[in-house]
Formats: sequence, C-alpha cells, structure tokens
Amino acid sequence: MKVRVEGLTKRYNNVTAVDNLTAEFESGKLIALLGPSGCGKTTMLNMLSGILPVSEGKIYFDDVDVTDLPPEKREVGLVFQNYALYPHMTVLENICFPLKIKKVKKKERIEKAIKYAKMVHIDDYLDRKPKELSGGQQQRVAIARALVKDPKLLLLDEPLSNLDAKLRIEMREEIRRIQKESKVTTFFVTHDQDEASAISDYVLLMKKGVKQQFDNPRVLYNEPHNLFVADFIGIPTINQLHGQVEEKGIKIDNCDYLIEGLFDTSNLVGKRVVLAFRAEALTNCEKGKLHCTVKESFLSGKDTLITAKVGDKEIRVFVDSNSEYKEESELRFDFKKSLVFLFDEESGERYV
Amino acid sequence: MFRYKTKNDEVITPKTFLKPALFLLPFMIGIIVFTIYPFINAIMISFKQDYRVLTDTFSSYGMANYQKIFADPDFISSIYNTLIYVVVVVSISLVLSIIIAVLLNSVEKLKGLFQTAYFMPMVTSSAAIGLVWRWLFNYDYGIINYVLSLFDVSAINWLNDPKYSMICLCIYGIWSMLPFTIILLLSGLQNIDPQYYTAAKVDGAKSSDIFFNITVPLLAPTIGLVAIVNMISAFKVFDGLYVLFGGKPGPSYNLYTVIFYLYEQFYKNLKVGYAAASAMVLFVIILIFTMIQNRIQRKYNYY
Repeated sequence: MKVRVEGLTKRYNNVTAVDNLTAEFESGKLIALLGPSGCGKTTMLNMLSGILPVSEGKIYFDDVDVTDLPPEKREVGLVFQNYALYPHMTVLENICFPLKIKKVKKKERIEKAIKYAKMVHIDDYLDRKPKELSGGQQQRVAIARALVKDPKLLLLDEPLSNLDAKLRIEMREEIRRIQKESKVTTFFVTHDQDEASAISDYVLLMKKGVKQQFDNPRVLYNEPHNLFVADFIGIPTINQLHGQVEEKGIKIDNCDYLIEGLFDTSNLVGKRVVLAFRAEALTNCEKGKLHCTVKESFLSGKDTLITAKVGDKEIRVFVDSNSEYKEESELRFDFKKSLVFLFDEESGERYV
Repeated sequence: MFRYKTKNDEVITPKTFLKPALFLLPFMIGIIVFTIYPFINAIMISFKQDYRVLTDTFSSYGMANYQKIFADPDFISSIYNTLIYVVVVVSISLVLSIIIAVLLNSVEKLKGLFQTAYFMPMVTSSAAIGLVWRWLFNYDYGIINYVLSLFDVSAINWLNDPKYSMICLCIYGIWSMLPFTIILLLSGLQNIDPQYYTAAKVDGAKSSDIFFNITVPLLAPTIGLVAIVNMISAFKVFDGLYVLFGGKPGPSYNLYTVIFYLYEQFYKNLKVGYAAASAMVLFVIILIFTMIQNRIQRKYNYY
C-alpha cells in the first residue's frame, strides 16, 4: 500500500515533535525513519498507526484519507519496542490474538498463525510463554502477531534496540527477509544509521521534527542535501574542514595554502564554508591539494585507516594498505570527483 | 562450632549474628508474647479437660473439648454459616471490586476524589459503620425499605426476621470488604503495562475483549492475593455481626459464626477449653483453604 503524508505536524504544548512533513512512500518497500533521539521519528510512526492524533496535516493510505481513522480501522500491524507480548498467553495464543478479536474460526486462525510462525521461524516454540523466549525470539513472535491479520502496513518501533549486537545484525536481515517475503509496506524506526542503510529501500532522515532528506540510502550517502545528513550518515563520520572561500580557492582555517580548482566557487567568495569529504574520497598524490600530517594508522580489515591533521582539525582517510605511513610524516592528498561536498557553515546547506 | 554460609558466601557465626539479632529482638519479643505463646497455649488448652481459667487447673489431657463442640448444634451451624458467609462475601466483593477498580482506573478527571471516596470506609471504625447499617436496615425508618417501597415491595424486617439475618450480614460484609480490595486491585492494575492495551486496541479489541482477555488474566496474581487475604478475614467475621444485631448472633441466636461461638464460650460461659477447641477448628479450616488457594495461585505467575 502506498502511503502519503501532507504537511504532517504534531505539537505537544509548545514543542513541535513533527513539523510540516510531506512525503510519499512507495508500496511494498522497507522504509526507515531515522534520526537522533527526540527527532520525532516514533511520533511519526505513532501517527501512521493512529495511536497518536495529528495536530495538522493529512495521512493518505492509497489515496484514502485516514487521518481521522482510529488504529483498528487502519489495518496496520504494530510491533512495539519492548514487543508487548501478552505474558499470560503462549506464543501461539499471542499470534492468534488479533484473529480471535476478529472472531475468525479457531481452526482457521491456528492455521494462519502457524503459517506466519513458520515465516518468522518461531514454529518450534508455539507452546512457550514469552518469558521463556530470548529477545530475538520475542521479536519474531511480535512480528508474526503483527503480520497475522494481513495488515496493509507494518510498523516497527525501534525493533532492534533491545537486542545485543550480534543478534541485532541477524534480526535486521530477518526483518528484511520477512518484509520481502510478505511484501507488506513496512516502516521501522531507528537511530542507527548503519541499520537503516543496511536494510531499508528508503530512509527518511529527520532532525528536530523536520525532514532532512528522503531517499535511497545510497543516495543519502553519495548526495547528502545538507551537512546534517552528511554528518549523520556513514561510518567513519564524514571529514569536515571549516574555512573561507577566497578569490582563488578555499582557505582552510589554520592552513597557509589555498585549495584551488576543486569547485567553481566564483560566486561564493567571502562565505564561511565546510568542506566535507568521505574517508574514501582522497587519493595519495605527491602534488595533491590537501596537506596533512599523519598521526596514527589503523588496520581495519582489508583497509588501512589513518588519522591525520589538517590545520588544527583531524581527518580520517582510507589509504592503500601496501604502503607504510609513519607517524608525523607529511602527506598530500588529492580529492576524487565524488563524495566531496561544500556546505554553508551556518545553515549547513549544500553548495556543491 | 555453629557456622552457616549464606547464599552470598558470608559466614554467619554467633558473633556476626549478634548484631542483626539485636535489631530483630523487639519485633521477635512482640511476636512471641502476643502470637506464638498464645497460639501454643491455645493448642494446649484445647486439649485440657475441665480447664479453669482462674485457677489454671485441669483434670487431664484429651479430646473432650472437641467432642463437646462437635456435639453442639450451635457450633456445627456456626461452621456452616461461616462457610456460606466466606463464599458469598469474598466472591461477590471480588467481582464488584474488579469492576469498580477497572472503572476507577480509567477515570481521568477527579481520580483522586473518587479513590479517596472509595477508601473512606477503610478508615472508619467498623462499630460506626455497623450502626449506620443498623439504621439503613431499620424496619420503619430505614432507607433500604424506603427504596423498596418505591418499587412496591412491602417493607422487610431485615434485622428482626431470622430469614434475612444472613443477607444483612453478607451485604454489610461485602460493603466493608470493598475499599481494601479495590485499593489492592487498583495497584495491581497500575502495574499492567499500558502497552498491552494499546497493542490490543490496534488489533481492534473492544473494551470487553480487553477486559476479559488481558486485564483479568494479568490481574490474576493480585486477584489471588486479595482472595486469600479477604478469605482469611471473612472467616473471622465477628464485629459486623455483633454490631448489626446488638450483640446477639442474629435476632433469635440463629446466626452463630465460629468466632462468635468462640466469643460466647469464652466470655459468657467461661468455657475456655471449648473456645480454644473451636479456634483450632477454624485455624485448620483456614489453613486448608489457604493451601488450596496457594496451589492455584502458582499457576498465575507469568513474569
């Protein structure tokens, strides 16, 4: 099911949790609502589910206005952060519960529950009580319970935050698999950009209730709209050098040379800017534009990551593992064509 | 030498035991003087034949006291009456309390006012409440008969007609049991994670679905606890009976309860042995019921 929100706004007294958000979400996709805590992503999810009334704006499911519909009429499946499995019911009873409420015949609802239990790989534990399950298993039950009523929309609130690191990676792949198998349009809330990028088709990145960018995770990484997006997405964090645009190029603070010819900056002269680039956006080159002093080098898997000083700032760069990088040695880098951006220092708006 | 290891591998010797023992002492003395000693003494007395309380003399140990009370129709009917009272009062007050507690829990405005109102009877003396109920039940002026008259029901002589004694006592008992029960259930309700309700609502559950499928089962541990506590207190029914019928067990001595029987044997007839024996019988009955309750209770431990 296609979902569209127009001017969606939620206010609590004088705090605006979600601010005038407009977006359209394609059917059958896995969409991450991403942002630092307090950015309004869970509020957004709760408004989609109908638990929370909206202050302003409209929500459309397949072009039908559902803004004022109560949750039970929206046909959404909801998975809570702490799963909210009924502790007095077995796994099977938990999964059956939404069907029991709908007065589906007992035989039919058990059949259906077992089908979804198999889909989420929990069918060996049907007679267990939730307290006898691990976090990951409880998560699976919660997803099955949400899916069993054939929702048009599946909503997961921080589905992985209660799991340990290893299980988290396993479960996020599971969520991806289950979503692809069930083909239900799915939203999930997360504050972990790695998680969002790894499994979702689209990411809606928010900050303080305002949409920052809504795109495919790859686009988000390659073409961030502003400095916040560039900074939030990607590990290691994007390198940021503050400086000023001068006639002939960009002067990085506390450096005595200009970076010339990197961008056409003729119309930005005099502006304070942030030159941002990914760790893999540099190539080692004797006559490179960027001068730096190596601080440390780390071997991380097949790559070598070095930290280096530019002026008084530190940058991280992936370099060729075959050469050696001595501490305090001088290096020069050139910029690649992509993954290098120029933002306005104050507004964070992207120039190039 | 006396040594004992706790779970945390602390070694307890007489020396290390001394300090905590000192802290425990005041309470232990109270318990021993007012509970343990009287209890053991009561067991002893119940087996002493021809026991005289003033001279502390008796002829021999034996079952005579028990044989006597079990041959007394008043005692048999007191057990019977007590059981009826317990079953009726505990079950009805529990059902009413659950309903009231759930309603109170969902009230948003004036929550404090309502909760205080329902808690009031708890802090009022039972003698005062009994007197109020005497007036409510009054044949000529009572409000209950007045309300009945509005529905063309002829006046009932609640307190003087033996037919109605048990009903009066049960109504009074249920009413006075409500506040404590409601308060406990309310705290139980407040322990239920509201997410279960939200989850059920998203699934389309109606209030009644939520009540029977989620609220009641999740409240079961509290309900069980309240049931045991209420049952024990109901077995000891005495003061309501005493006040309602002006110191008599019913208008024509028709409504003995075990404690009332005990009280009469002790204070009126000075048959301390009979009183002790009837106390032991009540003790055993309560013990059996509590054990059954406990057994059932264990099934409802979800967390």
